[in-house]
Amino acid sequence: MLRVEGVDVSIQAVQILRSVTLELPTGSVAGLIGRNGAGKTTLMKSIMGLLKVSRGAIGFDGADLLARPVHARARMGIGYMPEDRRLIPDLTVQENLLVPAWAAKLPDAAARLEKVYQLIPEIRHFAPRKGLQISGGQQKLVAIGRALMCGDRLLLLDEPFEGVAPALAHRLVEVVGNLKKEGMSMILSESDLQHSERMVDRIIVIDRGAVSMKN
Amino acid sequence: MRPDRTPWVLGAILAVLLVVGPFAPLWVVFPVTIAIAKGLVALGLMILLRCGLVSFGQALYYCIGAYTAGMLGRVFELDGVFTLMLAGMAVAAATAYVLGFLLARYRGIFFGLLSLAFSMIFYGLLVKSETLGSTDGFNVLPSTLFGIRPADEWVRYAVLAAASSVAFVAALLVHRYLRTPLGSLAPAIKDNEIRVEYMGASARYAIHVKYVIAAALAGLGGGLAATTVGHIDPEMAYWTVSGEFVFITILAGTGNVIAPFLGALIFEGIRNVAFAVSPNTWQMVLGGALLAVIVFLPNGLWSLFRRGRAA
Repeated sequence: MLRVEGVDVSIQAVQILRSVTLELPTGSVAGLIGRNGAGKTTLMKSIMGLLKVSRGAIGFDGADLLARPVHARARMGIGYMPEDRRLIPDLTVQENLLVPAWAAKLPDAAARLEKVYQLIPEIRHFAPRKGLQISGGQQKLVAIGRALMCGDRLLLLDEPFEGVAPALAHRLVEVVGNLKKEGMSMILSESDLQHSERMVDRIIVIDRGAVSMKN
Repeated sequence: MRPDRTPWVLGAILAVLLVVGPFAPLWVVFPVTIAIAKGLVALGLMILLRCGLVSFGQALYYCIGAYTAGMLGRVFELDGVFTLMLAGMAVAAATAYVLGFLLARYRGIFFGLLSLAFSMIFYGLLVKSETLGSTDGFNVLPSTLFGIRPADEWVRYAVLAAASSVAFVAALLVHRYLRTPLGSLAPAIKDNEIRVEYMGASARYAIHVKYVIAAALAGLGGGLAATTVGHIDPEMAYWTVSGEFVFITILAGTGNVIAPFLGALIFEGIRNVAFAVSPNTWQMVLGGALLAVIVFLPNGLWSLFRRGRAA
């Protein structure tokens, strides 16, 4: 269970999130919906620890997340896929997938990699290619796979459907749907409900840094 | 997957040095030994450079290694070449461990200048210290190999043999380290540190570890230089010496653990020849060589081998 309570976040003295409160029960999928600049990415980064929370509390399965640095949160099984994919251009796709395993010193890296390949089989085909040699949509698939390497309890997917061709977006919806069937907790952000509507259990609407929940 | 040939090549280089060493003239043995000492420092810098950090103060640890070796001889009359090198390495690593808590917080130009500042502080302390010979420094005891003092004509070879053996082990260990999870993270840290954080690694911790390893190698090189030259002075901590190490690392490239040693050897070669040919403008020749490498081989001399393999 992820619990965010009364969280305020400011970036360079501009308040972005205002008393954000939400809950995400284990195994459920939430769509974080809002316009550009509403605070979707800020909220995800705050949960991940990439932005400092000025007030409020964030808890995950009973643990106080704010007391832990970013890398410790990743090691708790929280995976984050940033909006801009951010693959390492000089490493191969497989190495990109293995970076979280190296970073978090995962003992079962091979098994996790195999699971990613099973969930998203197309990645296996371009695994030996360098990060810069694959298309934007393929990078998005790899970025989800990479988030899955660490994130076996909660996935934060920032705009997974943004900027990809319709066919690939459809494929991404399938991948997320399969993850949901496996019982993964997820928050995925989107500017509207175009892709996520059918698969989410709850909708978190965010506007000008304030959220309202809908079930 | 391509077989890993680096350990074999390293072993072959060691064998050549050990076999050819006794027959090589003194004017070859001495610069090669010094190149190994500087190559060790550059090997450490390579580890830092692979994750995007340039230390302009590696001479601090080079000098600490040298003064540790010198002081052990002076105070405790220790003269075993391996003992002196390892002690230099240990003191440098311990110093870097402490300073690393501060330095690992900084990146880019701030990291470079802060490391430079520490080396210049040490230089200033040594210059002011009368008991350590001030600017003149002091002589280091002639070293022994496993308690045996080699005959005069064998001293240089004995130091070369010890240096190449130690460098072989160091290069092999660094080669292994670069393939461990922490070592493999270097390109990821260089590319985007925040990303490494949200994948589960503390970039600051990783950089701290790399900084200590780099300092240990510089201390090892410093201890070796002290026993090879037989004299130490504060100039070893001066910023121009740090600049030399950065020069060698960029000249060599970061592609392989052999590269820093090759770079150091070529650096020493160019410097000696340039100094002999034109004593007043030798720096210009070195500068020209570095410019040529940057323009034609932006990834350093090692990219020549990469290209050869790709063709």
